Amino acid sequence: MRRGFRRRIPPVKILSDCEVEAIHHATLDLLEEVGCRFDSKKALDLLKKNDCIVNDQDLRARIPAYLVEEAIRKTPSSFLVRARDPKNNMMFGGNTLYFMSSAGARICDPETGIARTATLEENNQAVLISDALENLDCFPSYTPYFEIEKIEPVMLCPTSLASRIRYSSKVSRGAQVTDSFIWEIQLAQAVGQQLLGNMEAAPPLSYPEDAINAGFGYAEAGFPIYIAAGAVMGGTAPVTLAGSTITNNAELLAAVVFLQLVRPGIGIIANDFVEPIDMRTGSPAFGSLGCSLHHMAFNQIWNGFYRIPTNNTGPAFPNSKLIDFQGGYEKTHIAMASALSGANMIVLHGGVSSELSYHPLQAVMDDDIAAIVGRTIEGFEVNDETMALEIMKEVEPMRGTYLNKAHTRTLWKKEYYVPKAADRLTYQEWLKTGRKNSIDYAHERMKEILASHKPTPITPEQDKEIDRILEEAKRYYRNRGLL
Amino acid sequence: MEREILAGLKKMVLNYEIEKAESAAKDAISKGVDPLRCVEALTEGIRQIGEGFEKGDIFLPDLVASSEVVKKALPPIQEEITRRGQKTASLGRVVVGTVFGDIHSIGKDMVATLLFANGFEVIDLGVNVRSDHFLDAIKEYEANILAMSALLTTTVMEQKNVIEGLRREGIRPRLKVVVGGAPINQEFADSIGADGYGSTALEGVAIAKSLLGTA
Repeated sequence: MRRGFRRRIPPVKILSDCEVEAIHHATLDLLEEVGCRFDSKKALDLLKKNDCIVNDQDLRARIPAYLVEEAIRKTPSSFLVRARDPKNNMMFGGNTLYFMSSAGARICDPETGIARTATLEENNQAVLISDALENLDCFPSYTPYFEIEKIEPVMLCPTSLASRIRYSSKVSRGAQVTDSFIWEIQLAQAVGQQLLGNMEAAPPLSYPEDAINAGFGYAEAGFPIYIAAGAVMGGTAPVTLAGSTITNNAELLAAVVFLQLVRPGIGIIANDFVEPIDMRTGSPAFGSLGCSLHHMAFNQIWNGFYRIPTNNTGPAFPNSKLIDFQGGYEKTHIAMASALSGANMIVLHGGVSSELSYHPLQAVMDDDIAAIVGRTIEGFEVNDETMALEIMKEVEPMRGTYLNKAHTRTLWKKEYYVPKAADRLTYQEWLKTGRKNSIDYAHERMKEILASHKPTPITPEQDKEIDRILEEAKRYYRNRGLL
Repeated sequence: MEREILAGLKKMVLNYEIEKAESAAKDAISKGVDPLRCVEALTEGIRQIGEGFEKGDIFLPDLVASSEVVKKALPPIQEEITRRGQKTASLGRVVVGTVFGDIHSIGKDMVATLLFANGFEVIDLGVNVRSDHFLDAIKEYEANILAMSALLTTTVMEQKNVIEGLRREGIRPRLKVVVGGAPINQEFADSIGADGYGSTALEGVAIAKSLLGTA
């Protein structure tokens, strides 16, 4: 089982209890009066059968408050996801914090920031590197790259999962686009693992057919589901943090209601993927203050009030096009806010330049951010040994030292974190190295991993079965005229 | 009096007075103001907003609000233009839409607004637009430009499908095609046979102008 980090401090609360109540109350009002659109007759029939007022013209289901609160109660506060190697199983919820890899459309050149389509080999290498990173616990859907050379867009998700199964034994999330779930469920079952299923809204207040079909598929396969509603504040959600918290709540709770009707008691992790718009370009302003504040309120409501595990995507995608200072601070401030406010998972490793690019060097450096953020919420122990009063009484004022004490020698590694890809040398040493920086250290670490890391292997039969499933997927998409 | 009314129409755009747009336009027409001059006044207002946006003094919500004012004010003015047998001058007619399977609209809305602000007639088909719907609109409106947006790597190929549809119908030579969206780049645009690619909404407008020789 992956340990993750265990929060030992009470979560930071950005809202008062009354404000949480007001937001929840407004959410229920919105779902009763406006409802949510579901582009699926099967979903609408299910909702209609369970007391929702369904309008077959505008495809909306108005959801009664009692049904929402019943669905919240049915959703477990913790759930297990089985990896193909039990050492990588994950138990979501409670005070556990995990880290999920980020993703990008393309690979970026670390020197210039120029993005290009990755090859399948680069994709596989990036997965292998992620498998080795200590603080990267699982993968999202189309990761690391959501475009791969010579792979047709419609085959990207199944091919991407196949790569992750072959080069890592960590948990993965499935995708929802174009029936990908059909193949991803089979791929996971071929190697005896579960997936985090996927169901993502199209804000404001709607679920497209793809998402609903995926929800049905993953739930019926017995997989827990990762729900999300990626809205932009001022565009597909109100510009205010309070308003966009309510619409996001409503969108996600509509999915919770739906999924609890499909499979009562199903595990759900709710993702907050709301960010402000950059009011000059119209693009999502990842990495910004609005993300961190939104995540803090979200975690307080979902983890603290609804008791449903939470994920935060804000740290995944800095605005910076380069692996640089801006990217570093954008990721860290949001990751820290997320962790302190009680997130159960944070999407972090490897993303550069909004959703446009990814690089494994960034992932290596982000592993240090994950460790620092995770260790922060674990705090430190206060007991007789750590207080060290007896030792203090031995150390002579002014002349004494702690450096020669067994206490120091045996405990410093537990008390500190030494980053693996950072420059911590003295100035003179740094000059002698030729002025190596964190990217250089990350590069060395990457090379070490590629040279020596071996993921838990799959069997030849499993490998063959993966190929068979991918071929069947290609036939399916060809018959649909998509390939 | 006409001068004051026209100044009022322009000010209405600059002050984002969406609620009074329709009634102000009807009032202007009822007082006999030349509808072509009304269009000019509204266009001046939105052009000023567009310039402010390019400079970075004015932002997206302001651009959208000013275009809402114009959208509300235009119908009664257009009606009067038709009744009088007049014609509006424009740099060209653009059909704009986000491709099938994609519901992202913000970038497309920015392009539509800026094209209008720069003197184009814009037919906005919205989002999730099927290929045949684009073709029908191009034929109906005799468009000079087709501007397509796609923001998902899974929907960008739909832009290629639409261009192939134009070729099959034999109408490809009649117009220019400009594409845009976050996953698009020049290489992709060239590979699908588009005439232009805009990495930003402003660039898209400049390309539209240069393709029609009106830059």
